Amino acid sequence: MNVLLTIFAAASLTNVFPHIAPKEHYSFAGSNALAAQIQQGAPADVFASANTSIPFQLYDQGLVEKPVLFTRNQLVLIVPRSNPANIHSVADVAKPGVKLVVAATGVPVGDYTRTVLKNMNLGNALNNVVSNETDVREVLAKVALGEADAGFVYVTDARTVRGKVATIGIRWAAQPRVSYAVAVVSTSRHKAAARAWVKALLGKTAQAKLRAAGFLPVK
Amino acid sequence: MIRRIVVFGASFVGIGFLVLPVVAIFARVPPGRLVSQLGNGAVTDALRVSVETSAVAQALVLLVGTPTAVVLARRFPGRELLVALVELPLVLPPAVAGIGLFAAFGRFGLLHTSIPFTKLAVVFAVALVSGPLYVRAAIAAFEGVDENIVAASRTLGAGPTRTFFRVVLPLARAGLAAGAALALARGLGEFGATIMFAGSLRGVTETLPLAVYSEFNVNFDTALAISALLVALSAALLIALKWRPSLSISRFRFAASS
Amino acid sequence: MATLALDFALPLRGFELSLALDVERTVALVGPSRAGKSTEQRVAAGLARPARGSVRFDGEDWTPLPPERRSVGLVFQDYALFPHLDVRRNVAYAGEPDGLLERLRIAHLARAKPAELSGGERQRVALARALARRPKVLLLDEPLAALDAHTKAEVRHELAELLRELRLPTLLVTHDYEDAAALADEVGVLVDGGLRQLAAPSELVAQPRDGFVASFTGANLLHGEAHATGGLTQVQLGDGTCVYSTDHATGPVGVVVYPWDVSLAREHADDSALNVLRAEVTSVVEVGNRVRVRVGPLTAEVTAASAQRLGLRDGGRVYATFKATGTRLVPL
Repeated sequence: MNVLLTIFAAASLTNVFPHIAPKEHYSFAGSNALAAQIQQGAPADVFASANTSIPFQLYDQGLVEKPVLFTRNQLVLIVPRSNPANIHSVADVAKPGVKLVVAATGVPVGDYTRTVLKNMNLGNALNNVVSNETDVREVLAKVALGEADAGFVYVTDARTVRGKVATIGIRWAAQPRVSYAVAVVSTSRHKAAARAWVKALLGKTAQAKLRAAGFLPVK
Repeated sequence: MIRRIVVFGASFVGIGFLVLPVVAIFARVPPGRLVSQLGNGAVTDALRVSVETSAVAQALVLLVGTPTAVVLARRFPGRELLVALVELPLVLPPAVAGIGLFAAFGRFGLLHTSIPFTKLAVVFAVALVSGPLYVRAAIAAFEGVDENIVAASRTLGAGPTRTFFRVVLPLARAGLAAGAALALARGLGEFGATIMFAGSLRGVTETLPLAVYSEFNVNFDTALAISALLVALSAALLIALKWRPSLSISRFRFAASS
Repeated sequence: MATLALDFALPLRGFELSLALDVERTVALVGPSRAGKSTEQRVAAGLARPARGSVRFDGEDWTPLPPERRSVGLVFQDYALFPHLDVRRNVAYAGEPDGLLERLRIAHLARAKPAELSGGERQRVALARALARRPKVLLLDEPLAALDAHTKAEVRHELAELLRELRLPTLLVTHDYEDAAALADEVGVLVDGGLRQLAAPSELVAQPRDGFVASFTGANLLHGEAHATGGLTQVQLGDGTCVYSTDHATGPVGVVVYPWDVSLAREHADDSALNVLRAEVTSVVEVGNRVRVRVGPLTAEVTAASAQRLGLRDGGRVYATFKATGTRLVPL
């Protein structure tokens, strides 16, 4: 690829995308924030979201070409290494006084978190939310810093700060279906290159790197 | 002739550049829709949080900042360094200020407190970024009070405290008010340090600027409405400051000379 | 009468201010600017701390006391009126005005702000304000300096009367010898932080202790080498002329002659006056009903009638004569 593409990608892809394709311009943020920017005319070539609804919304608005699934993920509960609130199971986040940090609704991981809590009948844990962050990495940071007692992130995020946080698994039955989709932006000036980039993302090398980082296969 | 064209042309561009983004906000959304968006619960919650936290932060800044400025208005060894330290938050990126707040007041910070993620955290963040603005203006205001007038008050039997309240404060009033208004306006718009240290929770810590940011991702019109509200508030503050003739400095300036 | 006793030392830029002074009636401190005159007052008021020594009033040690605990009234050179208060509130700052406004003729200005007043009016307000405190000591810093020449004479007269009425120990500071002479009982000449002479105004004129004091009080000062001859001292001036004095001195001296001791004539009359100078009239200035005439290196003061009679306005050469008894010799 000679052309440098501008890739808007979900925050959870912050480490793996540059590993797959080092020489591009990346903008990582909450998928909904990126979508809003694209709606306002931001000059992106490719948009990768942590869910499918957002890219398909943009597709309906004619702002992107047809989105394609390219990877999957799962949620995990993290607590600071020192575990100040003594959390040992997901149910513990509903204990009174726990400082829970989650992403805001509209941010994919925020919606997924609320689905998990609903599935596990832990809706009242939302009373413990002290902050609604704008992307998953902010949730990660606050827990890693030790200021929050617990937070919900993707399992791939937890791996990037191994040592600073302890993870508590969420049983598969309670997990929502987390599918990432990618699309070429309609206003891209480098459509050919963008399409090629997307194709390569679906190719063996990229997929292997995704798996190595903890992402799940598309199935 | 050429020079005049250049000067006026440049100022036209300059003023236009500064005014356009503000005007554009109101041009994008019809006033009717703006007003109806204001009925939106997210907006009223954010307004309440902003007003409450800004008021408390402002009170804090005035109460603590005024004596600070009095002390720093005098000459003493190390004064320059101290003033530079006090003004430091002004030049730091707000996010850095937020990190600093964690490092100082976080659970694992220097003073282990449970302030993060609370309304008080918002007050702290706002006070940290707006305080130095007030202190800097207050120092200038106090320095501007003629030393001889202060000395006169002392020779007339008024001790330092009476002199401060009867002479220094009234004469510094204009500068202090300007500094306070500036600090208040800055505090209302504070984002980076707040979102870091206090997080964002509707009704608790989500201030107007934070609400703009989160609404931007959800409902652009609401974001516009909140932006318009912030602009209106800041403009009202500045206008109130500029149009109060009793607060103008110039009257006292030339009266002080014989 | 109570006395303000100043006896202290304080380092200033370039020299040390050190003097001992008792203020019982009105004392004026005069001298070149930056000699420490205002600093002297600030120490007396408590606005500056001496490095050594004390300020005592009527036996009470004021040295550790801040200004508000000393009973002083200080009138600043630029008056330092409170710009945000009207005249009445300014004056009443320290105490009830009680007739002071009337006495100083500012009652009609009670509601005015300082910015609206003239220089003379401001000075009276500043005085009234200081006096409202019923101070035991009055300190005046260059009381007439901020006034224009026209107002000055009038104000000087009023101020002199006021000081006489008040009978307070007063220390005033001025760079103008004439003001000092008009207002004070004693005048101290302060140069480089030290008192050269402290005496009644007339004594300073009659017996200046050195060249500086003499020229400061308005005398002519010439330079020369002195040696004794017979009963008199002969002084050879720079240009070779010789003058004689009844004072005794040797070596380099300052020769002091007061303008009013110099007589002018178109012809040289032989009389007991031994000192004669012949020179061109270079300037003639009227001062009231007297005339100051510059003749060579000397300034003479004669009556307007004499000036008329001699036709001094036309210039030309005259003889300036003065007696040996009117010729002082002072160290340089």
